[in-house]
Amino acid sequence: MSTCIELKQLQFKWPGAQLPLLSIPELTIARGERVLLRGASGSGKSTLLGLIAGIHTTGAGQVKVLGQDLAGLNQHRRDQLRANEIGYIFQQFNLLPYLSARANVTLACQFAPARRKRLSQQSIEQEAKQLLTRLGLTPEQQQQPSHQLSVGQQQRVAAARALLGSPALIIADEPTSALDQAHRDNFIQLLFEACDAQNTTLLFVTHDATLAPLFPRAIELSEINQGAVADV
Amino acid sequence: MFKLALASLWNRRGSVWLTVIAIAVSTLLLLGVERIRVQTQENFSNTISGTDLIVGARTGSTELLLSSVFHIGNLSNTLSWQSYEHLQSLPGVSWHIPMAMGDSVHGYPVIATTDALFENFKYGNKRPLSFAAGSAFAEQNEVTVAVLGAEVASERQLSVGSDLIVAHGTGEISFSQHDAHPFQVVGVLERTGTPIDRGVFIPLTAQGLVHGEYLPDSGAEEHSHEHEHEHEHEHENVVTTEPPVYTLSAVLLGLENPALALRLQRTINTYRGEALSAIMPGLALQNFWRTLSLFERALVAISILVVITGLLGMLTTLLASLRERRREMAVLRSIGAGPITILGLLVVEAFVVTLVGVTLGTAGLYTVLLFGAELLQQQMGIQVSASVLTLREIYLLLAILVAATLLSLFPAWRAYRNALADGLTVKL
Repeated sequence: MSTCIELKQLQFKWPGAQLPLLSIPELTIARGERVLLRGASGSGKSTLLGLIAGIHTTGAGQVKVLGQDLAGLNQHRRDQLRANEIGYIFQQFNLLPYLSARANVTLACQFAPARRKRLSQQSIEQEAKQLLTRLGLTPEQQQQPSHQLSVGQQQRVAAARALLGSPALIIADEPTSALDQAHRDNFIQLLFEACDAQNTTLLFVTHDATLAPLFPRAIELSEINQGAVADV
Repeated sequence: MFKLALASLWNRRGSVWLTVIAIAVSTLLLLGVERIRVQTQENFSNTISGTDLIVGARTGSTELLLSSVFHIGNLSNTLSWQSYEHLQSLPGVSWHIPMAMGDSVHGYPVIATTDALFENFKYGNKRPLSFAAGSAFAEQNEVTVAVLGAEVASERQLSVGSDLIVAHGTGEISFSQHDAHPFQVVGVLERTGTPIDRGVFIPLTAQGLVHGEYLPDSGAEEHSHEHEHEHEHEHENVVTTEPPVYTLSAVLLGLENPALALRLQRTINTYRGEALSAIMPGLALQNFWRTLSLFERALVAISILVVITGLLGMLTTLLASLRERRREMAVLRSIGAGPITILGLLVVEAFVVTLVGVTLGTAGLYTVLLFGAELLQQQMGIQVSASVLTLREIYLLLAILVAATLLSLFPAWRAYRNALADGLTVKL
C-alpha cells in the first residue's frame, strides 16, 4: 500500500520560539487509512495540519504528501497540491456565507483542475447535487444561502466540498466539536462511507478521546511528538 | 474570481453602497467642476470676436477689457470725441463702435453706442448680434430709445414698447434718475451667452441728451419731456455737425487686415493728441483669464481632495472588513486559493466598487446637466451643456479608477500577509 503522508525527523518551531513545537521522528499514514489524531488544545495539532496542507513549511525531506516533498515545492505548487488532492474541513464557519450550499461545494473545484478532470463524466453542478443529496440535503436546502443552514447541515456541506472530485486526502480539523453526539456520530459515519467510496485517506483531528473507538487507527499526538514514537 | 468578488460584495452590500455613493458624489463633483471650469473659460473667450482693437483713455488692459466687454467697473478716464474722430481716420480701420458707459437700468449697465454695434459686433465663432424683436436705433424716429439684451428683457419682463427710466451711476438703487427722459424699448436682442445679454443699449445722442451734453436745439434751451418729440428733425444734422457726447469710454475697432493690429496699436498708443490705450481683446482676455486661474486651480484642487476623501473612505471600509473576513480568506486558502488570489480578490473588489461609483457619478452629472442646466443658467449665470465626455474628463475618470486600484493594493497586501500568517487557523 502506498503512503499518503510521511513525516520524518519533523522539527518545527514558530519564529521567535525557543523550543520546537513539533518534533516528530516518524509518522506514516497509508493511502485509504482512516486515522484519528488526538491531542490536547495547544499541543500543535493545527500547526501539524498546516504543515501537511502545505500552508507552513519546514526543512527538506521532513513532510511528504503523496510522495511529494513539500519543502521542494514553491508556494504556488503547494497551493495547487492542496487544491487538487486535499479536502479540508474546519471546526466551524466552514462555508462562505454569501454563496449557496451548492456554490460552496463547487467552489473547491474552481481552484483544482485535477479534481475537475476526475469529475469530467458529469458536470460539476450535477456531481455536487448528487453528493449533497447523498449527505442528506434536499435540493431546496442546497440552493439556500449557506448561513441559513443549521450547523450540522453546514458541516455536511463542508464535507461534500472536501470530497467533491475525489481528493486523495481529507483533513478534518475538529469537525464535530460544534455538533451534539447524535449528529456527531452520524456525521462521522457519513464521512467514513464517502471516504470508502472514493478510497480517500482521512486524517481526523480532535481533542475528544471518546471518538477513538470509532477509528481503526488512533494516534495520540503527545506520544509521537517530542521523541516518543507511536507504534500503533 | 470575478464572480466570487461580486458575491462577496453583494453580501456586504449595505456598507458597499455607502462607499459607492461616496465615490459617485466625489466623481460628480470633480466632473462638474471640470466642466464648469472649461465651459466658463470657453464662454469667457467667446464674449468677443472679430474686434481687432479696443481703444480707451490711458489705462490698464484689464480695466479697459472689463469695462468695454464685460461692462464691469468704471473707467475713470475717457477719450474725447476728437480722438474718436482721429481713430476713424486712421488707415485700415474698416469699422468702429463707440461706447459710453456709466448709467444703468435696475443695475444693468447702459451702453450708449451707435447702430455700428448691431452691425459689426461679433461674439463666439464670429457670430453677429441679431434681433429677437424690434430693430436698431436708426429706424426709429425717437432719440430716447433702447435696445435690450436678452436677459434684461426676460428678467425685467420688458418687451418692445415698454418704458425705461435710466439711472445715473451703476448701482441697482440710484438716487439720481434721469426720469425727465423715459426711454422706449424698440428692440430686444437674441440671447448670446455673453455680457451683451445684460446690457441696455441706447444711442449716443440719447446719452448726450440726458446728460445735457447734446442739445437738440442749437440754442442753449433746457431739454425736457416736451422736447422729445422735436428731436427727429434735428437728428441727422446734429450727428454731422456737433458731437452727441463730449467723451467716450471705449471704442471697438475692426481692421481691414487684422494682421496690422499690432502696428495700429503702437500708432494709437503713441498718439500725441491724447493719452490712449489700445488693447487686443484676444490677448487681454488670455491675460485676464490667467489672473483668474488661481481660483480655478483652487476649485480643481478642492474637488480632487474630495475624490481622495471618497477613495480613502473606500480604503477604510476595505481595511475594516478585512478583520471580519479573515475566516472567509482562510476558507478560500483551504480549498487551494493562493495568496495572490486573495490579493486579486480585494483589488477586483475595489475596482468594481470604484467603477460602479464612477459610472453612477457620471450618470448623475448628466442627470443634473439635463434637468438643471436651465436653472444653473438662470440662477448663477453658469452655462454648462450636457455634451459628451471630453478626452480630459475620460482621463480624470481613468485616473480615479487607477488611483482606487493602487490604493486597494494596501488592504490587499494586508490580506495577503494575513492569509500567509493565519494559514488555516484563524482565532476569532
